[in-house]
Amino acid sequence: MVNDRGQLYTIEGIAAGLIMLLTAFIVVNSTSVYTPGDTHISDWQLEVLGGDALNMMNTAPNITIGKSPLQTIVETDDAGKSFQPMFLSLINNKTGPDRDHIQYMANVTYRESGGAVNSTFLSDSGRQLYGGEHAVRVSDWVIVEKRFPDCHFSSCSGKHAVLVEVLLWRD
Amino acid sequence: MAGLKDDAQWIVLMGFIVSFSLFFIAIVLNQSTVVGQTTAEAVLEFPKNDLREVRDVVIQSAYMNDEGGLFNNKTNVQNDIRTLSLSRQNAVVSFSNTTSGSFTYGEIHYNNGVMAYSESWTSH
Repeated sequence: MVNDRGQLYTIEGIAAGLIMLLTAFIVVNSTSVYTPGDTHISDWQLEVLGGDALNMMNTAPNITIGKSPLQTIVETDDAGKSFQPMFLSLINNKTGPDRDHIQYMANVTYRESGGAVNSTFLSDSGRQLYGGEHAVRVSDWVIVEKRFPDCHFSSCSGKHAVLVEVLLWRD
Repeated sequence: MAGLKDDAQWIVLMGFIVSFSLFFIAIVLNQSTVVGQTTAEAVLEFPKNDLREVRDVVIQSAYMNDEGGLFNNKTNVQNDIRTLSLSRQNAVVSFSNTTSGSFTYGEIHYNNGVMAYSESWTSH
């Protein structure tokens, strides 16, 4: 036989249960709150890593006056395809035997003889950038001796400062 | 207080306490996202690497020369730095340098709207 006594107690019990569940949820969550802003930590690490890798590639061996690997790569338009293995081995190194999965796409930006700014493709890790990736940008200045395709006079083949720009993302 | 019974005051009081504490926890959670956001913006906006690189290349260019006007190396490189900084790094970079005797003097000004940096340097 069902009767309708004690309805307020039932409601109070349900409300108390809900409040306890909610409190437990908030307390557990508040210790490990991952705010949207916290992504800056991994972004910043990726930026530092990429910047360091570019700096290492832009240093001549044993601090000689010779050309740095990055200078040679830009001057030859990466004809030897040496940018990819070198850069990937620098950024994907970990302390253990396993490798990281960072992908990149690199451009060279230069000033044309008329003053306009143009970019040419340099290298990538074989992975397309579809737009959903959360990429960071790093860049490094290189002084190269090279004639860019916008100018075919031999007087254009002096030294130029170009910007090697790399987009990095973790895949 | 006709007809009102006063024997559930503890329950009412606990209700108040629980609801107020929920309210304060919500405020704390709300603030933590704002703090994370502003910290992230401050860290990512500061152009530490850009500034170091541009300083490095400006000083490199101070030791170049125009090689008798055939290639105009120094002029070209310094114009490259100004143009590319403005168009790719949103930074106004202005610099000059002079060489007298065995010393080279120079100054660099950098401003990208978030921070401004000025430096005078002398070679040793």
